[in-house]
Amino acid sequence: MEWVRFIIGSLCILCGLVIALIAAFGLFRFRYAMNRMHAAAMTDTLGILMVLLGLIVLRGFCFDSLKLGLIILFFWFASPVSSHLLAGMEVEISDRLKDNCEIEETERKGGRT
Amino acid sequence: MTISAASGYLFGGVIIVLVLIMFACLLRAIRGPEIADRIVAVNMLGTLTIMIICILSLWQKESYLLDVALIYAMISFLAVVVLTRVYLGVHREHMRDQAHPACAEDGTQSGETDVPAADPLSAFSAQDSENASADGKGGVQ
Repeated sequence: MEWVRFIIGSLCILCGLVIALIAAFGLFRFRYAMNRMHAAAMTDTLGILMVLLGLIVLRGFCFDSLKLGLIILFFWFASPVSSHLLAGMEVEISDRLKDNCEIEETERKGGRT
Repeated sequence: MTISAASGYLFGGVIIVLVLIMFACLLRAIRGPEIADRIVAVNMLGTLTIMIICILSLWQKESYLLDVALIYAMISFLAVVVLTRVYLGVHREHMRDQAHPACAEDGTQSGETDVPAADPLSAFSAQDSENASADGKGGVQ
């Protein structure tokens, strides 16, 4: 029974590790900052979910697993917000944006992101 | 082979691979052509560090390291927010100085597109004055 739990937890951790490897590969494979943002956000959500879920399975149900779940929850709230801020900054300051993205020509008012 | 020895091998191997991924992210943060690439790489570095801290907490059976990881997550998020806002403030001040060179009294209108580092206070004051002029329908010229 202990070994079954260990194997399930280690499989989850190795899955998260593979996702982090894919994200690091995408960080070098993609050519533009927004594509790289897509690759890096995969680590922030699915990668950390898999690794911390594996740790919860290995540790068992106690107060530590509550803290690990809180870290997952915080990341799922914080990662889209930081991606949104980064994309807003990239849209405002980049001069290569039209070469890489299709932009609808709408009237921009204000300029606040 | 006992289960603690097996988990020791597992955690050691996982931490070694995570450190290699961190070096790759550091390389992207150094080489990144734009500021957004660097911030994305730094954000991913923070995530990988939190993974390593959590694994270390179970390996060493020290449960206070999980509190450290939670605080690290909050500070990493705050770093992205502050870097983004400060750089946007600096960029807006630079664009305003280029549009109206008479407004620039501190000599930042050197005509280059790269703004390395201005102090954050001037960036925020530039944002405030921009908001005030937007409210007053461009009365400050």
